[in-house]
Order: sequence, then C-alpha cells, then structure tokens
Amino acid sequence: MGSPSPADQVSRRAQVLAGHLRGLQTSTEPSLSPSPCLQYSPPELASPPPDFNLSDMRKLMDGHNLQDRDWLFGLMIQSKLFNPRVAGGRVFVSPDYSQSMEQQREMTMKRIHYLLDCGVFQEWLTGRGPEVEMRKFALHEVIGMYDHSLAVKLGVHYFLWGGAIQFFGTKRHHDKWLRDTENYVIKGCFAMTELGHGSNVRGIETVTTYDSKTGEFVINSPCESAQKYWIGGAANHATHTIVFSQLNINGKSEGVHAFIAQIRDTDGNICPNVRVADCGHKIGLNGVDNGRIWFDNVRIPRENLLNSVADVSPDGQYLSAIKDPDQRFAAFLAPLTSGRVTIASSAVYSSKMSLAIAIRYSLTRRAFSLTPNQPEVLLLDYPSHQRRLLPLLAKTYAMSFAANYLKMIYVKRTPESNKTIHVVSSAFKAILTWHNMRTLQECREACGGQGLKTENRIGHMKGEYDVQSTFEGDNNVLMQQVSKALLAEYIAVQKRNRPFKGLGLEHLNKSCPDVPSQLTSSTLRSSQFQTDIFCLRERDLLIRFAAEISQLQAQGLSREYALLQSYQLAEDLGRAFSDRAILQTFLDAEAAVSSGPLKSVLSLLRSMHVLIILEEDASFLRYGYLSPDNAAAIRKEVTILCSELRPHALALVSSFGIPDAFLSPIAFNWIDANSWSSVQP
Amino acid sequence: MKMCSKDFSTRLRANYNKSIEIYEGRLISKLLELFLAYEEDSNVKLVIMKGNGRAFCSGGDVAAVVHDINRGNWKIGAKFFWEEYILNYVMATYSKPQVSILNGIVMGGGAGASVHGRFRIATENSVFAMPETALGLFPDVGASYCLSRLPGFFGEYVGLTGARLDGAEMLACGLATHFVPSARLSSLEAALHKLDSSDPAIISAVIDEYSLQPYLKDKSTYHRLDTINRCFSRRTIEEILSALEREAVKSADDWISSTIQSLQKASPTSLKISLRSIREGRVQGVGQCLIREYRMVCHVVRGEVSKDFVEGCRAILLDKDKNPKWEPSRLDQLNDSMIDRYFSRVDDEEWEDLKFPARSSYTASALAKL
Repeated sequence: MGSPSPADQVSRRAQVLAGHLRGLQTSTEPSLSPSPCLQYSPPELASPPPDFNLSDMRKLMDGHNLQDRDWLFGLMIQSKLFNPRVAGGRVFVSPDYSQSMEQQREMTMKRIHYLLDCGVFQEWLTGRGPEVEMRKFALHEVIGMYDHSLAVKLGVHYFLWGGAIQFFGTKRHHDKWLRDTENYVIKGCFAMTELGHGSNVRGIETVTTYDSKTGEFVINSPCESAQKYWIGGAANHATHTIVFSQLNINGKSEGVHAFIAQIRDTDGNICPNVRVADCGHKIGLNGVDNGRIWFDNVRIPRENLLNSVADVSPDGQYLSAIKDPDQRFAAFLAPLTSGRVTIASSAVYSSKMSLAIAIRYSLTRRAFSLTPNQPEVLLLDYPSHQRRLLPLLAKTYAMSFAANYLKMIYVKRTPESNKTIHVVSSAFKAILTWHNMRTLQECREACGGQGLKTENRIGHMKGEYDVQSTFEGDNNVLMQQVSKALLAEYIAVQKRNRPFKGLGLEHLNKSCPDVPSQLTSSTLRSSQFQTDIFCLRERDLLIRFAAEISQLQAQGLSREYALLQSYQLAEDLGRAFSDRAILQTFLDAEAAVSSGPLKSVLSLLRSMHVLIILEEDASFLRYGYLSPDNAAAIRKEVTILCSELRPHALALVSSFGIPDAFLSPIAFNWIDANSWSSVQP
Repeated sequence: MKMCSKDFSTRLRANYNKSIEIYEGRLISKLLELFLAYEEDSNVKLVIMKGNGRAFCSGGDVAAVVHDINRGNWKIGAKFFWEEYILNYVMATYSKPQVSILNGIVMGGGAGASVHGRFRIATENSVFAMPETALGLFPDVGASYCLSRLPGFFGEYVGLTGARLDGAEMLACGLATHFVPSARLSSLEAALHKLDSSDPAIISAVIDEYSLQPYLKDKSTYHRLDTINRCFSRRTIEEILSALEREAVKSADDWISSTIQSLQKASPTSLKISLRSIREGRVQGVGQCLIREYRMVCHVVRGEVSKDFVEGCRAILLDKDKNPKWEPSRLDQLNDSMIDRYFSRVDDEEWEDLKFPARSSYTASALAKL
C-alpha cells in the first residue's frame, strides 16, 4: 500500500474544511443569530489512514514484553485504586495530585500493595537472567507512565535497595533479604546522598567503625552535613536502609562501603539511635516520602556489611580482593548503572506521553483564519507548529531505539562490557532526560492554556520528571565523565599504538570521512552522509580535546585542572559521542525492518532526527563541519521533512501504544469534556 | 446464508415506520447494506434491532464455516468473518443511535450485533454468553474491545468461561444500558417510533420511562467481582487457574468449582489466545481490535497450529457428544511462538488485513459505549 498522493490529501483536507464551512454558509442572512459553535472532530479526520501497521511499529518502539505491558496497563485501568475519572465520555487514570503530600504517599503504598498482590513484582529479585530483567524494565516503564512517584518508590526498593543487596551482598545477604524484599515483607531504602555530598560520593562524611569486642559495626553521622538526604522511603515507610559510609578500621580509612541498617521496627516505630526527618513538599514526586537520616552510633551486626568487595574479619582485620581503592569504589557504583538505564528509558516514555497528547490536540484544535469567514486553521497545519513538535517526535523515536539498545547491553552485561555500559548509560541518561524536559516544555506550550491543567498531564509532568537530570548522577557531571572516558581511550590508543576498539570509536581507525560541500536533499537524507557528519564531528572534537588538554598540561597545569578548563570542548564532545551512538541504534533498528511503508517512515524520522541536530547544535558551524550555505540547505530540508511527516503524525503517536486512558481529556473530545453538562451532578 | 439459524431474524426499524425483516439469506451483507444506507438517509433517526422468537441472535452459523473448512475452503469462512467484523465496525462508528432489544438469547455474533450500538435493552428473558472457548474459537466480533471494558476483570471471566448472564447482570456490568420488562416492549417500541430525534439524551429519556431497576439475584456471579478480580487479573491462564484453586481451598464453593471446570473443559489454545486478545483489546481502539481478531480468526479457520475449532463444532454442534478432543490438549504444550502465530499476518498471497470502509462520520460515537 503506497502513501496517499498529495492530491488525495489535498482533496481530503478540502472535504474536512468544507465540513466546517457548512455550518457557516447556512446563515447567509445578516441576522443576530449566534454563529455556529465549534464542533469537535477527532484527529482521525484530520489525518489520512495510516500507511504502516501500527502494531508493527509499536513492537519496534516498545521492543519487548508487549503482552506484559498490556497486562499491567489493564491492571491499572481496571482498578479503582488508580483513580479513574470520566471526562468527555472516557475514562482516564492518573493520581489525584490535589491530595495532600501525606495522602499521595499513602496512595502510592496502596497501589504498590495491589500490584504486589497481582503478582507484578514476581521474580524481580529472585529471578535471574536477561528475560527476567527485560520484563522488569517493561513493567517498570508502564508504572512510570501512570505516575512517576510510583515508579520511583518502586525503583528505590527494588533497584537500589534490592540491587545493592544483589550486587554488594553475598549469599548470606541474598538468602536473608531478597525474597522478603520482593514480597515487601521489609521495605528498603538507599542512603547514599548526604546534605554535604551528592555526586561526589567519595566525599561523604558518615563514618563506620568496627567494635571487635561485640562484633558490631558502629555507624555515626559526625556533623550536620553528614545527614543522609533525599532518601526515598525514609520519611514514612522504609524499615531498612543501605547506608553508604566511610569505613574506618584500626584508624585507617578504607573508603566508602555499604551496610544494612534497620531504621524502623515492624510496627513502624523508628529504631533507637536513628533520627528521621522529612524532606518536605517538593516540586514533584510528592508520592515519594523522601527523608533525612542521622545515625547516632547505631550498632549493626558484622554480617550487615555488604561484603562482595571487601570484608572485615571478626577480629577486625580489613580484607579485600580489590587492592586499588579507585577500583573498589567503582565496584560500589554498579547498582547506579541500572538506575541510569531505567531513568533513560522512562524519560523516553514521558516524552511519548506528552507528544501523544500535544499532537492529538494539535490535530483537533484550530486557531485563526487565513481570510475572514474562512474556517480557522488546525494547529498542526501551521508549519511553525509542525516545526515545534515533529522534530521532537523524530528525536523521541531515535531515543526509543537508544533506550532499547541500552537495556539490551545492560541485561547482557559481562565484566568486559562494564566500561561501555557505564559510558553509554551516562551519556544516554543525560541526553534522554534533557530531551524529555525540553519536550515537556514545548508540548506544554503547544497546548496553550490547556497544558497548564494538571488533568492534562504534560505541565504537571515537568515537575515530576525534573529530578531526572539530577538523580543517579547529575547530567553535567555524567557528560564530563563521558568525555573523560573518551579521552582516556584516545590516550591509550596513542600510547600503545593500537586501533580503537569499543564505544563505537572504530570509525577513528579509518580515514576522515568526506562530506560533500554541496548538500542536496538526497545527500542530506542518506544514512551515509548522516553517519559521516556525526563521525567527523566526534573525531575532530576528540582530537581537539586531547590536544587542548595536553597543551594545558604542557603549560604546567595538572590533568584535573586542565579538564576543568576545557569544559566547553568536553561538553561538545559528550554530545557528539551521544548523537553518533544514538544514530547508530536507529540505523541498526531500521536495518532489521524489511522494505515497505514502515521502513520509509522510519527513514523520514531518522533524517529529521539528524537534520534537526545539524540545525540546532552550534558545533557544526563553530568548527566548520558545515558551511553557512550547508546550514541554509539543512534548514530548508527540515521544513520539507516537517510537511512530509505531518500526514503520519497521528499514526506515529498512536504507535507509542499508550492506552487512551493514560492520555488526557485534551487528547480526545475536549469540548465534551469541558461542557456545562459535565460539571452537573 | 452464513449467519443465524432458525431462531434468528433481525428487524431493522427506522422511526418513520419502515420495518424490514430479514430472515434467511445473506444476512450480514444485507444488514451492512442497510446500515450504510440509513446513515445517509436523513429520514432515519435511529435504528432498532430485535429478534423474532426467543432469541435476539444466538450467533453466526459456524457449522457452515466448519463445513467449508472440512472441504478445504477456509477462505470462504474467512470472508464470512470479514463481512461480520466490518458490520461490527460500522455499528461501533455509527453516527445514529442503534437501539437493540435483547429479549432472549444474545450469544457470540448476536453480542457483536448489539453491544457496539448506543443502547442495549435487556429484559427478564435475556441470556448473554460468549461461549467461544468451548467451541475452539475465541470471543470475536469486537468482544476483545467490549469485554475488556467491563468492570475489573469481569470481561476475562465472561470471555474465558463462557458464563451465562441474565438481564440484571447485563445491566449491572454494563453490557446492557437499560432493563425493560418484556411486557412493556411493545409500548416502548411505539414510543420510539413517534420520536423525531437522533439525540441520545432524548432517546435515553424515552427508554428510561419504561425501564426499571432489576433485582440482582443473591447467587449472581456479579456479587463475586472481588474474587473474579483477584483470580482473573493474573497474568496467564495457568496463574488464573491456580488462583482459582487457591480460592477453592479457602472455601468449598460450587461457583468456584464450576468456574474451574469450564476452564478445564475449554480448548487450551482458545483460552490462551482469548486471554491475550482481551488484554490487548483493553488498550486498543475498536478498529485495531477487529483487525487483530480478523488475523486470529483466519489462523483459527486455517487450523495450522490447532484444529480445535473444527473439533469443538463437531463435539458441541454436530455430533453433540460434548466431548471434544483438544489438540494440543494441555496448556503447557502451547509455547509462546505457537500463540504468537495467531496474532501475526497470515502467510498467504491473497490474504490481507481487515480494511474498513471510509467512515466520513467517524466521530465521538466510536467511543466505548460501556
């Protein structure tokens, strides 16, 4: 089935417009009768029928566990606990955000218990293997689409607390804690961040010593800045916590280690020598009880040291297989990788929700007539509105593939792939969450005043998702780590005179790609050009970055100080790496699709994704990868791509597979949803 | 003639008193033709559907489809379902109100011919069931859309067990919009004939005048919704069965054991594809549901994974020995890739996905009406 010809589309549009006119034409007499009202007409009428199979596209988007996702959507839609409300004849589910913070927290906990009873969390900690992990990711994504608080609360319990026990603990911890955690017999939290230390975990001030007389560790918060801060679950519910602390043995600091401490008894009373306070109301995530914890020489059994990396013998000797404290510390950060994977992926789902709502609205809402007495123009028929939303849609497609790739390499991790996973997860977490915040803002504005209503979700989600650029690693810090890792790779290759291998840097082994000076439309849309220009930028920026660092070092600056000074190049390089890596995941996904309408629309999306980066990222002009003429050609092509994607817009957001009940009233009949009769009892 | 044997006929009524009775013959094609014509006819304000005799409609003539399959002609069967699902789609997206008077048996295709319409009137004679899993089929005619939108997991229960519902239960769960005692039906019809409006609010008000709130009997399964939700919300058929068995241990109870029995008697393949279909239907639009069901039904009539449909019809409708030999005979003999086949395109050059006629008035009426 080919795509409808432009002529068909025009005549279809004309019919639609005529439908709007019909009402106007009947009132020819210059009477005082009121002009006919606007009628809601569904987005399907403003779009040609999809020319690719929506289920096939959804399979590509979600990537895995579609049935599990649908099952969980159903569990939420069908339960009163998920606050179903009717608007415009449809049921929508989303939390009641007008509830008090305390009420929202209790609802989060009730929903968790319901999902637990339904068996949603089965095998989340007791299961093993890539399939179990992918299923867990899928279900967690769906939960996040309902409410970010619910996802975060579960993420803390299963991924952080549970993950810490899995990764840092040994058999005795696994046997004791994993099953009880999976069944919520105990509620865990994860106390890493302190008031005085966030991203710099190595600087935390909590201190733990060992008392060989009693065989216990003693955990202490020696000063106010050592109080644990933002600890999800600590304020109300958690019974146990992982405590990150400096370990002091025989007067020697052995660096950061992780311990298990109980903070509440089974009745919910706070344990002796533990003080807990609330972090208070936040701009979002008020369904999560973030708290602060002080430890006043809390005593815990020796067995509560999570000892996969290091242990202390009963008589107080420090034992570790990893002698290098740097490596030891790196081993401790492993669970944060799984956090970054889930954050990156949930950011994409948040973008999908906001785009589905904003694009559906833009296909039903009109504003201004071109000439008097003409019907008003549909928002998405304005080229400017297309330019605002469709590039973000294309990028969201690209990032969907990126997130699927990231999940895949994470669940198939090996000791050798740890470095790649660390770098890729840092880069994608930062890029995908920044993209989400930008998308939310644009979609909010694109919905005008309606975007401000909490029930329409987008505006509210800005507050809910803002935290993503901060937790599990500040985005800017993560991106610096990416460029630092690339630099280290570059230096190693130079030093050992070996080719690049890994992180997708193999292209640097080949000669520098040639980018034609004249960019035609077909060049701009070719995957060869798109790959070349991204590789060219990454290669050049890496070389420049390395040169600048070595030059600064030659001037006598320390390596660390030189890195600080070169932050601009570092930033550009981090982006260049991410863009190239994300494009690669897109190309790989595209290659797996057989030719046909679906593949054609994917190629349009890919071109839009690349060209919008070329247009928006100043580095291409700054470093001369593109000429001003090139930039003009690209800008023109973006406009053309917008008009080519316009007929697919509805099908593309429908392919996200988000149930109607998870969208919002403005995505459907917003006139009915706001009618006077809808406010009558 | 492909649909609805002796107990069925349909009367289409327009309110300017044109009454058409359809008995045998190409019922579905005729209905489709009439529905499309009435949509254009400005004299037609609403469409009334009702059966003659003791049934509204007890479903399509699947025996005829099986006959074709046995003669190696699955495509005739596929064509029958194609037309039926197109009719379901037109009803679901119809711009004028459809009033179905369900004064008798409403099963399978009969449910499809009514439940997509705006008003469904149950009476004390109504009996509703989707018995397809006992026939080696699955709840189709858009049932994955409608059943999945019943309260909680009642839809899974009704669709998997084939449980029968009476008029009061139909009203309680939303399958019916009104309950009118059968004695009042003729005056209700007369009142509807006098109406000169397509406004659902006005039509609803007229039906309301004849309606009453029926008594939901003490033994009604609808009182079991909590248990149903606990069991039928589970992820797989196997988990649903073990949840039911856990309930049975908690309290000896006829209802639970008969529910378990009906699941054990149903085709294992049917159970698995039906559950997945309802779960997918819950998050899809009616059009997507019918497209998926059409894929499924084509695989069913082709019989490449399982021939349970032929066997079920033999055992229940033809030989009536009520002892079908399902193949695969156990749930654990069905792996994911076997189930996946039912949801994939059919590997046949001439085959294509269900395509709907252009609906110029595809409007808010395409909403779920439950």
